[in-house]
Amino acid sequence: MSASWGKLFFQLVLLLASCGHINTKTPSPTSPSLDPISPLPSDIRRVVLKGESHTEKVELLNPVDLALECIWSGNENKSPNITGYWRKDGEEMQSIRVTVQLENDKYTLRQVFKIVSKENLGSYSCSFGDEAKADFLLAGPQIGEVRDKPIVSYVGDSVVVKCKMDEKKPKPASWNWYKANGTDKEQIFYAAEPQKYEIKNHEWVTKLVVHKLTEGDSGFYYCEGVYAVSTTMGHVELKVITFLEPLKPFIAIIVEVIVLVAAILIYEKSQSKKNSAGGNETNADQTNTPTPGDNNGPEESSSTRQRKV
Amino acid sequence: MTRVSAPCTSVCSSFKDMNNHGPKAKSHSGEAEGPNGDWSWVLVGALFISTGLVFGLMRIMGIFFVEFVNYFEESSQSISWITSISLATQQFFSPVATALCNAYETRAVVMTGGFLSGLGLIAASQATCLVHLYLSMGVITGLGWALVFTPMMATVVANISQRRALALGLGLSSIGIFSFTLSPLFQLLVEMYTWRGALLIMGGLSLNIMVCGALIRPQWCSKALKKVDSKPRSSCATVLRRVSSYLELPVLLERPYLTYTATITIFNAGYFVPYVHLVALSRMTGFSEYQAAFIMSATGVTDILGRVTTGWFSDLGYFRTIHLLSLWVVLAGLFIILLPVSSLTGSYAALMAISLLYGFCSGALSSLVFAVMPMIVGVERVMGALGLLQLIESGAGLLGAPLSGLLKDMTGNYTVSFIVAGSFLIVGTLIMTTLPHYFSRTDPPPPHRVPHDVKDRGVHLELEHINNSPSDTSPKGAQ
Repeated sequence: MSASWGKLFFQLVLLLASCGHINTKTPSPTSPSLDPISPLPSDIRRVVLKGESHTEKVELLNPVDLALECIWSGNENKSPNITGYWRKDGEEMQSIRVTVQLENDKYTLRQVFKIVSKENLGSYSCSFGDEAKADFLLAGPQIGEVRDKPIVSYVGDSVVVKCKMDEKKPKPASWNWYKANGTDKEQIFYAAEPQKYEIKNHEWVTKLVVHKLTEGDSGFYYCEGVYAVSTTMGHVELKVITFLEPLKPFIAIIVEVIVLVAAILIYEKSQSKKNSAGGNETNADQTNTPTPGDNNGPEESSSTRQRKV
Repeated sequence: MTRVSAPCTSVCSSFKDMNNHGPKAKSHSGEAEGPNGDWSWVLVGALFISTGLVFGLMRIMGIFFVEFVNYFEESSQSISWITSISLATQQFFSPVATALCNAYETRAVVMTGGFLSGLGLIAASQATCLVHLYLSMGVITGLGWALVFTPMMATVVANISQRRALALGLGLSSIGIFSFTLSPLFQLLVEMYTWRGALLIMGGLSLNIMVCGALIRPQWCSKALKKVDSKPRSSCATVLRRVSSYLELPVLLERPYLTYTATITIFNAGYFVPYVHLVALSRMTGFSEYQAAFIMSATGVTDILGRVTTGWFSDLGYFRTIHLLSLWVVLAGLFIILLPVSSLTGSYAALMAISLLYGFCSGALSSLVFAVMPMIVGVERVMGALGLLQLIESGAGLLGAPLSGLLKDMTGNYTVSFIVAGSFLIVGTLIMTTLPHYFSRTDPPPPHRVPHDVKDRGVHLELEHINNSPSDTSPKGAQ
C-alpha cells in the first residue's frame, strides 16, 4: 500500500516538475506524453535562406505548436557540422543550441515552439554560426483598414470612430478601446460614462461613439482586438473643431457676392442715368426709321425704363 | 390701347446704345442680334457660371453620399433620393419659373433662385436627420435651381441668334469644368470641415448665382407688356388665359413641339444612366476606385470638348442643327451599348476609349438640344417652351436611373441596363425623324404666333424675317 502511494506521490512530483518547467519564460521542446493539456494544433513555417538574412511574418491568433524550420545551403567551404541556435527577442535560448549536420548539401535547423500566450509572441531568430540568419516575427494579425486622415467633428456633435479587421482573418474575441493620454493609453470603460461613450461591436467591426464632443476629446484613439494569444492594435485620430472654422471662408464668399451685386446694380444705374440725361432724342431717331407704327415708342420707352430701373 | 413690342424695341436699342453700337438695320425687334459685343458675351459668362453652379454642384453631391451614409447610418438608396428630389424639383418647377419670367422680370427670378439654392444648402449643413436633407438640399435647392437654369438658358437662346450653338456650348461646358475642378476641392473641404462645413461653403458659392442674375439686363421683353389691357378685368377667364400664356400652354397643342418633347423625354430616360452607373460598372469589371474615378473625370473632359466643338461646328452652317443632333444622339446611344461590351473584354484601355467617345457625344447632344428649340417654336416662345420641356422630360429622367438599377439587380450585371439605355436614345432619334421638314436640306421657317391685331402684324412680319435668317444658313455669321 505505501509503495503504491509512494509511486503516486513520485508521479505527482514528476508531473508538477514538468508543469513548472513548461511555465518558465523560455519556450522548451515538448514531448506529448508529459503534456497535461490536450494536444494543440500544429503548424510549420519554413524558410530557405538565400543570402544574408530573411524576415518572415507569422500571424497567430490561437494557441498552436509552431515548428520553425530554417534551411541553409551553406557557403563555399561546406563544413560537415555547424552550430545552429535560436534567439528570442534578441536573447539566445541556450538550452536548444544544437550542432547541425550537412545533409543533402544543406543544413536544416528545426524547432517546435509552444505558443499559448502573449509572452510567446515576438521575434524568433535562427542562426547558423555567425553566417546566416532568419527572423520569424510572431504577432497578431494587422488591423484591416487604418484611416490615415483624422476624423473631424464639431463641438456638441457626436462622432463614430470605427476600426475594421480584415474579413479574411477570423474575428477578434473582444475589442478594447483606449484614448491616448500623453504617452499613456487610458482604457475607455463605457459603463462608467454611458452618456459619453458607446461601444458597438459587430463581427469584424468595432465602433466607438462619442457624444457631446468637446475640444478636449481630440487626440488619438486606439482599438485593440483581442484574440486567444495575441492582440492587434489600430489607431484613429479625432479632431474636434468649432463651427467658426468653416464660417470664415463662408463669410468671405458672402461679402464677395454682396460687393459684386452692388457693383453691378450701381454701374447699371449710373449708365441709365447718363443715358436718360441725353439719350431721348437719339432713341426717337433710331426707332422711327425702321419700324412703322411706332409713334408711341419714345414716351413709353422712358416710362418703361424708369419702371424697370 | 394695345401695346406692342415697340416699347421693347426702344428699350433694346437704348441698351444697345449703352454698348456703343450703331443702329443695325435688322435689329428692330425684341431680340438683339448677337453677339452684339460685350453684353452678349457677358450673358454667356453669366450662363456659364450659373449653369456650373447648378448642375456642376449637383454632380459633385456624390462626394457627400459616403459621409451621409456613415453619419446618418442610412442605406445608400435613401441617400441617393436627395439628388433625385433636387433634380425632379428643378425640372418640375421649370414651367413655373418661366411663367414667372414672362410675368415679371427675369433678373428678379434668377436672383431669387440663386438665393434659394444657397439657402437650401446652408440649411442642409445644419441637418440632424435625413428628412431635413430631403427638404433643404432636395426641395429648396431644387426650387432655387429651377428658378435659375431654364430662365438663363431661355434668355441666352432668345437673345443670341448668331453663333447661338457656340454660345450654348460654351455656357453648358461649365457643368463639366465645374464638376471636374470642384470635385477635388470639395473632397478637401469635407476632410477639413466635414460635410457640414463643406455644405455651408457650397451654399455660399451658390449665392454667386445672384451675381449672374444681376447681369441680366431687363432686355427680354416680358409678356406683361403685351398683354395688359386698359380695363383690367380680373375674371377667372382672363386670369387663366394670362397664366396659360405665361406658361405657354398652347404650344403643347402643336405637333412639332409634342414630337420634339417626346423625343427629348425618351433621350432623358437613357442619357443619365452612364453618369450614374459608370463608376459602378468599372468597379464591377475589377478596376480600382481611382481608375474608375479617373474614367469619370476623363469622360467629363470629353463632355466639355463635345459641347464647345459641336457648338462651333454647328454654327458654321454646313449641316442643319437638327441633323447634327440626330447624329450625336445615335452615336451616343451606340457607345452606351458598347460600354458594357468593352468592359467584358476586361481591358481598361477599351473601357476608357468608349467612355471618352460617349462623353464627347453626350456633351455634343446636350447643348444642341436647346439650340434646336427656337426653330421649332420660335424665339419668343422659347422661355415657356423650355420650361414645359423640362417638366415633361423630368419624368423620364426620374425613372431612367432606377430602372437601370432595377435591371442590374434582376440580371446581376449592367449589360442589359446599358443596352436598354442606349436603345432609348436610338428610338428617340427615330421619333425625331417624324418632325415636319426633317429631311429638307435647309431649316423651314419657324412658326410665329398668329397676330391678334393689325398693328401687331407689321412687327411680326419683321420678326419672321429675323427668324428666317438664323445662325446656320450661311457661314457669313462671323461678326
